[in-house]
Amino acid sequence: MRLLGRRGWGLLIGWLWLTGVASLPAAALDVPQLSGRIVDQAHVLPPAVAERLSADLAAHEANTSNQVAVLILPSLEGEPLFDFSHRVATAWKLGRKGTDNGVLLLVSIKDRKVRIEVGYGLEGVLTDARSAQIIRNEIVPRFRAGDVPAGVTAGVEAILQTIEGTYRAPEHPAATPSSSDAFATAAFAVILGVVVGLFFSRAHRGLGPVVGGGLSFLAAPWVIPAVIAGAVSLVLVGLLGMLGPSSGSRRRGDGGAFDGTWFSTQQGGWGSGGLGGSFGGSGGFSGGGGDFGGGGASGDW
Amino acid sequence: MVMSLMRSMVGVVLLAAVLALSGCGYNDLQGLDEDTKAAWSEVINQYQRRADLIPNLVNTVKGYAAHEKDTLESVVQARAKATSVQVTPELLKDEAAFKKFQEAQQGLSSALGRLLALAENYPNLKADQGFRDLQSQLEGTENRITVARKRYIDKVAEFNKMVRYFPTNLTAKFLLHLEEKANFTVADEKAVAKPPEVKF
Repeated sequence: MRLLGRRGWGLLIGWLWLTGVASLPAAALDVPQLSGRIVDQAHVLPPAVAERLSADLAAHEANTSNQVAVLILPSLEGEPLFDFSHRVATAWKLGRKGTDNGVLLLVSIKDRKVRIEVGYGLEGVLTDARSAQIIRNEIVPRFRAGDVPAGVTAGVEAILQTIEGTYRAPEHPAATPSSSDAFATAAFAVILGVVVGLFFSRAHRGLGPVVGGGLSFLAAPWVIPAVIAGAVSLVLVGLLGMLGPSSGSRRRGDGGAFDGTWFSTQQGGWGSGGLGGSFGGSGGFSGGGGDFGGGGASGDW
Repeated sequence: MVMSLMRSMVGVVLLAAVLALSGCGYNDLQGLDEDTKAAWSEVINQYQRRADLIPNLVNTVKGYAAHEKDTLESVVQARAKATSVQVTPELLKDEAAFKKFQEAQQGLSSALGRLLALAENYPNLKADQGFRDLQSQLEGTENRITVARKRYIDKVAEFNKMVRYFPTNLTAKFLLHLEEKANFTVADEKAVAKPPEVKF
């Protein structure tokens, strides 16, 4: 480490820092944090209004799974309205993944601009034309009269009424996965069971299938996929277990280490992949993974 | 005996590694190829949506500004030109044809811009509910085109990178015969970055 000496290291670190900092992209406006359904950075909404709106939006989400959020900015700082609005909506991921049923109401006070950003899933009911009408008829007149809270409230009410009744959430989203989710989870369960079962097969021929089958049975969704997964694992481990250790002790010596590491790395990867996805966020408001295609409308006052 | 066994095992491991590498490239390339096609379909979808809005728009404007024949005619012709370009996935492999497609769409954008600017002079037209709805739909479509184009550009960049990186470029060239796909050019981006001004 005597290569550079103290000054040398200092210069090197300084240069690395500068090049690192200098390579950062020009600062576009940051996407604000999704602190709640109403993000009021301009502080124009009285707390009572913000709370009531938030409660309305939460109730709407509970009924329909649509996620509607409001963002009020002091200024766009030069960034085009649509670019920023789309960026925020996709970063916040409003709406459920796959159904993309999110809406963002964006107001920029200094620029006097307002936009309703509509997710793919709601474009059919909250169309561009209807969004434009809401902005034109509900929001802008009140904004022009100087009453921003009333405009935001009227806008939110109009948005909710426009989409109300068109989307129904499944009863218990966590408990009743869609058929493709169930299949994927069951497949993971089988793989997991087979891998673990084969491990146990090395110790004892009969133990493997039981352990493998049991693990698959527990890991797969209840009830029918679990039974199927358990049975498949049992059979697979039984068959594969017979192929491995029975074909000579010398092979077992060499092959064991190789098999062991292969299995463990594979299992590590699948295990984390399979289990990681099922723990969603809870408490507080967060986006559900919805996507936005650019639908909606803008206006100014 | 043990040495030769170990060597053959090392050989097997190396072979597996090489196969895995090229195997991975194979699937990734196929996946990105499909993703790019899907992204392109979305772009075309939105361009088509814009083209579909135009007959209505022209008729509405005619109702108020019938004597602005030139502008109306140019919009109709630009639309015909834009929709006449045969759009197939093959277009992505042909740089020249892709450029023609871009230019046709750009021509339509310019003609639309002129028509909407003209509408500013007719307050009755501007107040017409049908016209306002069409304007909002047009703005929405332009935004959707922007999003679709951006997503296509990102996907194609990913695909092209994979086609050029080593060792997947070998898989692309010799196994799959996949080449770099056409992408929207920067010059075109600047021009299209200014969609027709839509004022309420």
